Parts: sequence; C-alpha cells; structure tokens
Amino acid sequence: MKDYKELGFRCGLEIHQQLEGKKLFCNCNTLNSSREANTRFERYLRASAGETGEIDVAALYEMKKGKGFVYDSHSEDTCLVEFDEEPPHNVNPEALRTALVIAKLLNCKVEDEIHFMRKIVIDGSNTSAFQRTALVGRNGYIKTSKGNVRVASLCLEEEAAKKIEDAKDFTKYRLDRLGIPLLEIATETDIVDPEHAKETASAIGMILRSVPNVKRGLGTIRQDVNISIKGGARTEIKGFQDLRSIPKVIDFEVERQQKLLREKKSIQNEVRKAEPDFTTSFLRPMPGAARMYPETDIPPIQVTKEMIEVEKPVSLAESAENIEKEFGIRKDLAQLLAKSGKLALFASIAKKNKNVKPAFIVETLISAPKEIKRKFEIEINRLADKEYEEIFSYLNEGKISKDVVFDVLIDYAKGEFDIGRYAKESGEDIEKEIKKICDENKGASQGALMGIVMQKFRGKIDGKKAMEVVKKYSG
Amino acid sequence: MHEAGDRVLVETSDETIEGTLMPSEGNVVLKLKSGYNIGISKDRIKKISLLSKHLAVSEEKARHIAREKSKKSITILHTGGTIASKVDYETGAVIARFSPEEIISMFPELKDIANVDSKLIAQMWSDDMRFEHYQKMAHAVEEELKKNVDGIIITHGTDTLGYSAAALAFMCEIPIPVILVGAQRSSDRGSSDAAMNLICAAEFVAKTDFAGIAICMHENMDDNNCVILPPTKTRKMHASRRDAFKAVNDIPIARINYKTRKIEFLREHKKRSAEAWRINPKMEDKIALIKIHTNMKREQFDVYQGYKGLVIEGTGLGHAPVGLEVNKPIMEGIIDLIKSGTLVAMTSQCIYGRTHSHVYSNAVKLANAGVIYCEDTLPETAFIKLAWLLGNYKKKEAASLMAENLRGEISDRSAE
Repeated sequence: MKDYKELGFRCGLEIHQQLEGKKLFCNCNTLNSSREANTRFERYLRASAGETGEIDVAALYEMKKGKGFVYDSHSEDTCLVEFDEEPPHNVNPEALRTALVIAKLLNCKVEDEIHFMRKIVIDGSNTSAFQRTALVGRNGYIKTSKGNVRVASLCLEEEAAKKIEDAKDFTKYRLDRLGIPLLEIATETDIVDPEHAKETASAIGMILRSVPNVKRGLGTIRQDVNISIKGGARTEIKGFQDLRSIPKVIDFEVERQQKLLREKKSIQNEVRKAEPDFTTSFLRPMPGAARMYPETDIPPIQVTKEMIEVEKPVSLAESAENIEKEFGIRKDLAQLLAKSGKLALFASIAKKNKNVKPAFIVETLISAPKEIKRKFEIEINRLADKEYEEIFSYLNEGKISKDVVFDVLIDYAKGEFDIGRYAKESGEDIEKEIKKICDENKGASQGALMGIVMQKFRGKIDGKKAMEVVKKYSG
Repeated sequence: MHEAGDRVLVETSDETIEGTLMPSEGNVVLKLKSGYNIGISKDRIKKISLLSKHLAVSEEKARHIAREKSKKSITILHTGGTIASKVDYETGAVIARFSPEEIISMFPELKDIANVDSKLIAQMWSDDMRFEHYQKMAHAVEEELKKNVDGIIITHGTDTLGYSAAALAFMCEIPIPVILVGAQRSSDRGSSDAAMNLICAAEFVAKTDFAGIAICMHENMDDNNCVILPPTKTRKMHASRRDAFKAVNDIPIARINYKTRKIEFLREHKKRSAEAWRINPKMEDKIALIKIHTNMKREQFDVYQGYKGLVIEGTGLGHAPVGLEVNKPIMEGIIDLIKSGTLVAMTSQCIYGRTHSHVYSNAVKLANAGVIYCEDTLPETAFIKLAWLLGNYKKKEAASLMAENLRGEISDRSAE
C-alpha cells in the first residue's frame, strides 16, 4: 500500500450523467438510437483565434489534423439544431428542474442567474464547434466514509455526438446523442486514495439515481478522474468501463508518473484513456482555460425562489436504509434495489403482498432477470412495473406457485402469459389425479412417478407438495 | 465605478467570489476562473472591490503581406455581418475585423489564392440597408475598377443579400467579377461557413474568366461545394440553413469543390473583357412591395398614393382580390394608383413559376387596368428593378422594360 499523503496525491472526479426526456435545446427525443442512419453530411471545423490572438492548444491540436467530419443520424432522432443549421431553442425546463434538484442533493449554492456558455470543442463531437454549458451551482459537498468531498461545480450542458469511426481522412460521428441534457459534477481534489475515488463516484451515482429522470444503463453515466502527484503533472483519465476499475487505473497512473519522475522524463498535463487492462493511453493535450464565451442565442435564466425552493428529495442511500428497516431485508439487498432503481417498485409490491417473503421479491426483481438473460437470452427488464405487480398479486393470492415464477416472467416477457396455464387446481382434484397416476403405474419408481406428475401439473403444484402425495400413494 | 474587464472580488451575504466583471444590465455578471459566467443578484452584494484594472487589448501588429506578381488581385469590400470577427474571451464580445492583415490572419488560405486587399465600406445588419447603401457599394466597385483589380468580393449580411445582388446587377455593367458572400453561422465559431464561402469566392474570382455580379454560398448542408448563383434570380429560402440561398426559376452558374478547388461551370456566362464599364447607380426612392392576402382593404393600397412604383406580390399566377363585389374598392384603389402615376407591377408570391395575365378573370382585370406582369421575376428583384428603372428611365420606357429581360431576371423558358 502506497502512502498517498506522502506522494502528494491529489484527485478529483468529474461525473457526467445523461438525463431522460427531451434534448436540452430542441424537441428531439433522447434515444441513444442505433437505427440505421438516413441523413449524412460532411463538415470541417476551424480553430478561431481569441482576441488575444492565441488559439487554444487543444483546439489547435485538432485543427492541425486537418480532418473532415462525417455526421450520421436518423431524421426522427435529430433536427436542424443538432445539424448546426438552426439556433438552439429555449432550454428544456424539465432538465433545468432536474439540475436544480441535484444541486440541492449535492448541497450546492445555486447561482442567481444561470448563463449558458460556448465551450470551444473542435474535435467534431459538436457540430457547432462548441458545447453549450452553464454553471448551475457551486460549493457543495457529499459525505463519504473518509470525510466530506467538496463539490466544486454542477453544470448543465449538452451531450456530445458519439464517435463511431476514426478513419485517416475523416472522423465519423452519430448525432442522436448530441444535445442530450447532461449534468457535470466536478469535485474538489479531496479524494485521499484510489479506493476513496471509487466510493465517491459510487456515492454521486446514488445521488443522481435518487431523482426520476436521469438515464440508466451503459454509457449514460461517465466518470473522469483527475490525478496528480508531487512533481508530476495533472492527468485526466476518461473512459472507465465500470467503477470497480477506478482504484486500479489510478494506481497504475500514479506508478506511471513515478516511473517518469525516476527516469527524469517530462510529464505533460494531458487527457488519457482508461484501457481494459487498467493502464492508460494518451488521448489529447489538456485543454486550455480561455475557451469559453457567452452563448448569446440563449438569454440568461433568472433563478427564482420558486425554482429552488423545491422539497429536497430523499436520497437513494436514505431510501435504502428506510426499506431495510421497514421490510427487514438485508442491507446489501436494499442497496441492490437502490442501485437498480427498483426501490419504489419493491416497496409497493412488498406492502401489498404480505404473503410473499420480501427477500423473494428482491430476488425476483434483481437476480431473476439476470439469470433468465444468461440462461435463455431473454430480456426480462422490459417488463413494466404493472406486470410485476400483477405477478406478485397472483403469488400472494396463491393463484400461482413460487416455483413457476421464472416461467411466468419468461411468458410475460414474450407477451404469452395466460393465467389459465398456471392456475393452481384445487388440492383435492390434484391429489385424485396423482393417485390415479400411481395406480396406473404400479411398480414404477417414485422418481419416474414424479416425472409424470410434474409434466402434467407443472405450475399448478409445488414440487415438494407433489412428492408428498406421490409418496403417499406409491408406497 | 468598476467597468467590464476589471478583475474584482464580490462579497455577498454568504460568500466571496473572484472573477472578471462582464458587461451586463440588471444582475452583476462575473466570469469565473473556470471560464463560466454567473449572474449575481445586486440585493445580495455587499461590496465589490477591485483587484486589477482591465488592460485594453493591444492592437494586433500589422504584418506586411508580400504581394506576388503572378497572383490576381482581389479587393474584399465589407458591408457588415460577421464574416470576419473574433471573440474577446475576456468579455465575450464579438469584434469585427477588417484590415487586410486581419483578414489574412483569419483566413490564411486567401494569400495562396490572390493578393488580397480589404476595405470597410459599411458596418450594419443587412436589414438596415437602404438604396443609398447600394449606391455606396456601386461607387466602391467603381473605385476598384479604376485601380484595375482583377475581381471584387463583397461581404454582406445574408438577410437582404439577394436585394443587394440584384441592385448591383442592374447598376453595374462591368468586365470583372464581383461576388457577394455571406455567412449563415458567424465567423467567431469553428463551424462557421464564412471561411469556405470566402475561399470558394476567391478561387472563383482568381481562376475563372467570369465577369459580372454573382453570389457565392454553400450548395447544401455539407462543407463540400459552394455554388455561384445568379444575382437577379437568387433568394434566401431558409431562415437558418447554410444552403439557404437557391437559384429560383434558374440554375446556379458554377460549382466550386472546396476540397479539390475544382470549378465547374453549369451554364454559359459572361466573360472578362477589356470593355469599358458602365455604372448607373441612380434609384427612385418611392417604390414599395406589397403582399396580397385575404380580407384586404382598399386603404392598404391608398397608402401608396404618391409612390412612383408599386410591386404586387400576387397570389398564384399574379392575382389580387378584385372579383367579388365586396372587393370592388380594391380594384378601384389599384386603378386610382395607376391613374395618379404609380407604375404597378405584378409578381407571384408562389416564388416558383411565372405570372400570367390571361388565365383567370381577376388577372385580366388587373392587366387591363395597366398592371405590368413581370413573368418569372422574383418579387424582390422586381422591386429593385422598378426602383432602378424609374431612377434611370422615363416612366413609359420603364414600364415596357419591366416586362423585358435585362440582367437575367426574366427567363424565356420555365425549365422546372
């Protein structure tokens, strides 16, 4: 274990979270679509010098590559705003509201007046050559096991287009991601060690998922880590596959800088990419500071008292604790529910269906979909809350048995569910039938009899119960 | 008092914020070190103390640009818009730049194409253009002709660029190219179309034998081609797209590939020559353009009493509401205008297609009353043409010339 304090370890996080709903400056849906492109155009971007005559280093680096950009999109997911062919519309009020709620959860001070800026980006990821971004709040903090980590800023901004091909003469982007509302949370360098970075990222993730309209799923949240050690340089690491890789990647970066220091080589401030083997590779030079100017197409937003005096929502961490106590489930299960966004669904089901054990509900909501996907390649996560409610009410009323929940989930996912196939027949009727089977197959082993019985009554009787009856009549 | 650009410390009821003061009304706007601007309510501010005064930005040093004899000479005349502008990242202000050195520093490609000179003749939104500005442009063109330049590029706001092109086309009969260039995205941003439009125009001037007025703008949403468009038959057909300018009832003159710089003529064109130029910049001031709509009233026409010319943007083939009894006063209003000496000309608000005075009875009535049908002339071009004709010709002559093609404004075939 390294002594990070001794190393002069400084580390902060930048978390980017996509929001659900419409885009930030137009009325397009935020689909992260993968449908085939039906619109394509090509552009070049230029680095324009600031008044001081200086061109931003990062901007110049991109321009020198002299590459063109090809933009692909589907016309239903994008409009002229993403094409940089129409000025931005007014800011999406839903996204702004979400940003203000998150500001509250992060204990940030919200600005009196929010100004959208143009942050110059000429790698092609924004057709306009700048990203629209606004500082919403500052000076917040979150609690962690190793003390408070201060939140330097919360920004509301546009998501960039997604790079899909990097050819020799051009870079190709998909445009449907461009303009999705994005929250950027930057912490101060209060993180004390690599594990702490992971904990902080996880805690911020929990806070973000405490509000309803943040996006979930692969690529909808991204973590960037800023690191430096004494004598080294500041590097920003992007592209973490998951939170678990954060500590190891940070450790490797510290070691890389230490090695360069030992070899007396110069270390540059730069942006690096996290690789799957936990090492990092050079991405681009660190962007300079003087690269923002006002977005004059969007008037400043006055933040009124009504806008910020929203009730502070219960954070996911608190909700998980409450659920843990109320339903007596294990802490890790409550956390799993919180992370998967199914806390509310769980609480609703558990309250209504007292005959079903809470732990079984958690298992059905969390593990069953994963297991079914693994075994049968069927996506259960598409099930609506209403459908889960229905399944558990059948269970609660004894209309279906616990054993068949997997089959029921699969049938729901396929849209083939029919209660008639599963409904438990009366115990007496089944017992009669089983007796008949045993009589007809005298001499057969109990195992063979069970096979016949279960084939006939799958879903209508518990296996345990069936075995009892078989034992009774085959003896 | 502190001014924009000063570095200050703002003390509020609950914090102290350091930043650069931005120009603002109402709230105090501060640029933080991060580059973000925030607005701080004045009610919360206790004190603003100065850290350091704003340093005026020193002018860029003019670098001498060597002229190469082998290259053509082009003068760029600026009339406004933001084809050459830079951002002051300190205050966020967009500052227009016009000196030849500044133009070359912003668009270094130009010096490989030609020896570039640059002049500011006006600085305005194109919506503010008046006939006197067209005359100023024509005079500036004449000045350059006297200096034997090989070609001229005029930068222009896009909203009324079509009007200016038409005006120059009627005013100037010249043996060199004069190309109007605009930008739909201002040049302070990396995605601006200004550079490509300007560079393509310069290539076209330097490498072809074209003479006359034309427009150079994007052909489509891509940064691949620019087109050279006819000055009297081009219209801004979109509020914001790069390819807003389209030839209407006509085709572009030429196409320039931005990447390969290959130039392809799409039709016949007037060639450079040693012939003398003629510039007739006179225009009649009292000219108007009115759009026909439903539920019109006679007084809408009466306001043009005393005008020398009125262009009507009629419906369909060139109609106005003169059929029903209830609309009879409108017909009378138009007849009164003509009787009192106003030259009334008819175009179509369909934009595409040609007027016709004999298919429907409403048009027959108007034509019989003396309204001149302008074939497939664009309404805006008809407006400019009428003003120019009445500035240079007697009324009778002007009336007959309105229905004749002078500068490509009337085509004898409707190809589409």
